Amino acid sequence: MFRNIKNNIKTIISNRKFVSGYILFLSVAFIAILGGYLLPKEYFRAGSFHRGLSPSLVHPLGTDVLGRDILAQLLWGTQNSIKIGVIVATIGTFAGAMIGFISGYYGGLVDDILRVIVDVFLSIPSLLFLILIASLIKGSVTVELMALIISLFSWPWPARQVRAQTLSLKERDFILVARLSGMGKFEIILRELMPHMFQWMGANFINAFLVAILTESGLSILGLGPQTEMTLGMMLYWALQHAAIYRGMWWWWAPPVFMLIYLFFSLYMMHLGFDELINPRAREK
Amino acid sequence: MASYFKYIVERGIIYILSIYISLTIVFIVPRLIPGNPLDAVLQQLANMGASVGAEDLIREYEKIFGLNEDIFTQYVKFLREVLKGNLGYSISRFPSTVSEVLARALPWSIGLLTMTTIISWTLGTVLGAIAGWKGESSAFSKLFGPAALLMYITPYYIFAILLLFAFSYHFRIFPSSGGYTPGAEARLDLKFLVDVAYHSALPALSIVLSSLGWWFLSMRSMMVTVKGEDYILMAFAKGLREKLIIWRYAFRNAILPQVTGLAISLSRVVGGALLTEVIFAYPGIGWVIYDAITSKDYPLIQGGVLVIILAVATANFVIDTLYPLVDPRIRYRSE
Repeated sequence: MFRNIKNNIKTIISNRKFVSGYILFLSVAFIAILGGYLLPKEYFRAGSFHRGLSPSLVHPLGTDVLGRDILAQLLWGTQNSIKIGVIVATIGTFAGAMIGFISGYYGGLVDDILRVIVDVFLSIPSLLFLILIASLIKGSVTVELMALIISLFSWPWPARQVRAQTLSLKERDFILVARLSGMGKFEIILRELMPHMFQWMGANFINAFLVAILTESGLSILGLGPQTEMTLGMMLYWALQHAAIYRGMWWWWAPPVFMLIYLFFSLYMMHLGFDELINPRAREK
Repeated sequence: MASYFKYIVERGIIYILSIYISLTIVFIVPRLIPGNPLDAVLQQLANMGASVGAEDLIREYEKIFGLNEDIFTQYVKFLREVLKGNLGYSISRFPSTVSEVLARALPWSIGLLTMTTIISWTLGTVLGAIAGWKGESSAFSKLFGPAALLMYITPYYIFAILLLFAFSYHFRIFPSSGGYTPGAEARLDLKFLVDVAYHSALPALSIVLSSLGWWFLSMRSMMVTVKGEDYILMAFAKGLREKLIIWRYAFRNAILPQVTGLAISLSRVVGGALLTEVIFAYPGIGWVIYDAITSKDYPLIQGGVLVIILAVATANFVIDTLYPLVDPRIRYRSE
């Protein structure tokens, strides 16, 4: 199993698109985490500095109308948005994969029930349920809670994909050999099927990551984000709330905008990398 | 035909189940949170002592939704009222019911998104077809390709922010918010329509830009595939003009997945651009939900969410039933 995973990792890190996306992403994640130590959270408490300063050496990205340092907001916001992405993608990918494996491998009634549930969850627009849930606990939301809420709707897509793959894999000979050698169903799922799903789980992970950051910013712009903490979405929320665009404070609204585009670009590159592993035809282009 | 029937029944079951599950979640969620928001709703209503009939309203509310009875009765009554179209009263816009508020907002959302989807689809498909025919290494493709990719990966509300900055702050050409000039009479005459179009220009442009990239990229790759087919070679061998081959042979064969995509996008017009509406204060359903969140109008949030969910589920079901008729290659089993 471990050799298999090692091989998989070797193929993905030799993919040029994945690696460039990964480097872009890691460097910004690294800066955001390191910056968090240099610019403590107190830098974005209201009233810490003069209000509405334009960028200078002391405040490279200036301050907002509440007297909060914007570079500190950006670093902490990026860090928290990435944190939400990691939590949601981990929960969604693994919970989804387990459901997909079980559904595909056990088949029969279990599969019928799980498939209908997945279909139902795929056909309801999740952002709206999230709005409903988040508006009830508005004000007391933390970054972690936000991530958990978003995770509630992050599993159906991985589940459907993994199920389809399991169906095609389970008829293969090595599964038969495993079954004849007396492995239990659960053991087969973990030790034989899982390593073959590496690319799909990787692609799902990146996808869930992307959707999580997008959902977080959407909920935050609607005013449902973690009000006392900073995320990229909350930065946009504050900037829009205080009409940063009309005050001409580009240094307030532009950093989260460009950070979001940057993050999506790097994640998309990684996704393309996994796509090329899954679909070799994409590689020829 | 038998398999089509079986397929329809299966989609029908999923449709009904998803509506039922959605309704149940909408019912359960507020009751899971300590400090029942329905109590808060009633409290808020009571606080508005000035408004005539608030007391009566509370009593009526309790009676209709069975708030003093056990949870099961409440559940049954909730389902019954929602199916009748009764979503309760809006708190922040009190004498209006939730249904009335939403009915006023819906045309704005549907109008804006239907228009922009069709514009963006047409533009993206035609440009994508040309780019695909000329090949991915042509200058045309190299010019539009990276731009399309950037548009595709950028979240849609980012365009709203950038356009607002460019055309409403920097060049003060377009209004920053609203769907019409405040105080303008909402009549179906030319003056009002021009006013609406003027106010809708930026929101519309932001939605067109954000969806254009995808239409372009998907049409381009379809066109590249179709170009390699034998019947295209045959058409060339017959000596047909290239223009004729592009639009009569290749385009018509490449467009089917685009049509499906268009149908799916059109099924989302009710709640598809919530954040665009929020950023431009555009009077559609997204703005109503945002406004309700800010003023803690829970019945209105719940109603807005429910209406969008029902609309999307219904549109999905319609597409699912029609699609196999359009594209016979679809197999009726969801493998």
